[in-house]
Amino acid sequence: MKSLHRLIPLLVPIVLSAHPEIDAGLSRLNPLIAARPDDAALYLERGRLYLRHEAWLEAEANFLRAQELNPRLLGLARAQGELALSTRQPESARKLFGRELELQPDDPETLVLRARAHATAGDPAAAIRDYDLALLRIASPSPELILARAALGPTPPEALEVIERALSRLGPSMVLELRALSLEESMGRHDDALRRVDRLTATAERREGWLKRRGDILSRAQRPAEARAAYAAAMAEVERLPAWLRESPDAIRLAAQLQQRLNSSSPTQP
Amino acid sequence: MISRLAILGLLTVANVMHAATTVLRGPYLQSATPTSMVVRWRTDTTEASVVTYGTEKSKMTATAKAEGVSAEHVVQLSNLQPGTTYYYAVGATPLAPPAPNAKEVEDGPGRPGISSFTTPPLPGTVKPTRIWVLGDPGTKNQQQANVRDAYTKFTGQRATDLWLLLGDNAYPEGTDADYQKAIFEMYPSYLRNSPVWPALGNHDGKSANSITQSGVYYDIFTLPTRGQAGGVASGTEAYYSFDYANIHFICLDSHDSDRSNDGAMMQWLKADLAATRADWIIAFFHHPTYTKGTHDSDKDSDSAGRMNDMRAIFLPVLEQAGVDLILTGHSHVYERSWLIDGHYGKSVTFDKAAHVKQATDGRADGTGVYRKPRARTPHAGEVSVVTGSAGHAGGKNVPLNHPVFFLSLNEVGSSVVDVDGLRLDFTFLSEDGRKRDWFSIVKE
Repeated sequence: MKSLHRLIPLLVPIVLSAHPEIDAGLSRLNPLIAARPDDAALYLERGRLYLRHEAWLEAEANFLRAQELNPRLLGLARAQGELALSTRQPESARKLFGRELELQPDDPETLVLRARAHATAGDPAAAIRDYDLALLRIASPSPELILARAALGPTPPEALEVIERALSRLGPSMVLELRALSLEESMGRHDDALRRVDRLTATAERREGWLKRRGDILSRAQRPAEARAAYAAAMAEVERLPAWLRESPDAIRLAAQLQQRLNSSSPTQP
Repeated sequence: MISRLAILGLLTVANVMHAATTVLRGPYLQSATPTSMVVRWRTDTTEASVVTYGTEKSKMTATAKAEGVSAEHVVQLSNLQPGTTYYYAVGATPLAPPAPNAKEVEDGPGRPGISSFTTPPLPGTVKPTRIWVLGDPGTKNQQQANVRDAYTKFTGQRATDLWLLLGDNAYPEGTDADYQKAIFEMYPSYLRNSPVWPALGNHDGKSANSITQSGVYYDIFTLPTRGQAGGVASGTEAYYSFDYANIHFICLDSHDSDRSNDGAMMQWLKADLAATRADWIIAFFHHPTYTKGTHDSDKDSDSAGRMNDMRAIFLPVLEQAGVDLILTGHSHVYERSWLIDGHYGKSVTFDKAAHVKQATDGRADGTGVYRKPRARTPHAGEVSVVTGSAGHAGGKNVPLNHPVFFLSLNEVGSSVVDVDGLRLDFTFLSEDGRKRDWFSIVKE
């Protein structure tokens, strides 16, 4: 039985701080719903409008009405799942996304949403399964998606493998390269990290930062002579910058850091 | 007999014309770099994709092709010369060389003739650059057309080097049909001659998904994900950067990508800002950092907090890196700040003494242009412009009282940015062609 509070948003005209998109959407949808009160798709659309603007109660009421009219309406369980995820009910969300996936088993967006729900619910193994399925189905997944999958590991080498696969499939992405680099460094794979830094340096518009990072990796790897050479190369790059860039605070700060590293790694030091 | 032949001939011609492919969309120019250009167009039937091009109209001898047949044609022209004008024609076969004294190939119904574009100069080159900026244009109405015509009259023979779409490019849902009317049928000549660089708005986002990079917006545009147009590889078309002359442009996705402080977009932005050597940094995205127009950046619930995120999370990073100009839309008004820095809270926390770097009007014919050091200096000041009225304005009851703004107008119009060396001139042009605001930033 429906509670009254769930019905109110369907019965009372809602004014949400005169938000233009909601106003425009409602002005279009309300007359349509009045004319076709049994059209479940219209309630779903109105619910989605509210969902986008975090009007949870109104969204839920519209979804429930759509469900009464057509429980198998495509996209409805997904929208309800998004609502559940937004209102911190991951268990409900994953059930609802599961219901949607029974209707549309190959829908990658629902797979991604269910993966998030699994992860939020503390089930990383299930999240990994859904992310992996989604990644297979999406032609150009975003770096966000790759990082979300990689973050679930479950181990750093497996996370690195996810990123490497994405890089070779999709082409360069600085964010993925940086994540791979930090994973390599965290695992002590200094040579791999150096190879990556060298590759990034070769294509960089400004090389000084990458050369400094090279030096830092070599320092951590207890290779002081090579580290010193890298810092010196970075310093030379700074000096080659045009004056207006060399005199910028960022470049001055970098030069000071490099000088400090060069001093502390002086070959004359005992 | 003669009349029979004539009739037969006419029927044959009619058949050929009937069978001819119609270009439904474009050609339009994408992902311009000093040495490459992507040319796209759509036809009503599938066929081969061929671009014939050359540096002289009468000597278009080079061709570029895409694999296979398609109705959505995407052809990359490579090994071009920087800063060079090319003439081009699209079709299923290479354009035959013109016969001596032949009439130039002209536009026909559904059959575009010869178009031209000029490749960007090498990064760092000083070149007078004209940029047309359209925020929230896609209403398909007369006001949108008026804005286009006002700019056309304003720019005259001066070429548009590139143009920016700040999101909500096609109302109401950002569908393919919306884009057809709001963009492809509204700006055909600009699309053919000047590369367009879009940002994703909330209305575009109704038919697109940034996480999966799918949907209409991502189908229509070819944007640089690998840093091929300058900047650092973002790995996504949702946010990207590119260079033009001595300007570095950064497009952010304020609508559908992770806007958190440690999210992928932020990590990429920091790397991209650290890498550029350009004199100027111009950032553009849909949701404004400040507005009191048809949206209110003080309300956390407005646009699900996106304006807050862009102001509190992204603006500090942009200002730290020395951004010069921030262009946004979403609010269907024109709002322009002083040269400002460091205001990341709600409007009540704005302190003119603390946040305005130069309290002039920014005008050479007024109280003075904005001046910044050439050395890339954090927090040297930026001008934030909400120019979201290229298709409609806010109607009644828009407060337009955000204290960060020097000027706020509830008027339909578009913006023009001219960069020449170390000088940037900005103009807001109303739909009736009047210069309603202007300012300059000079680096020294």
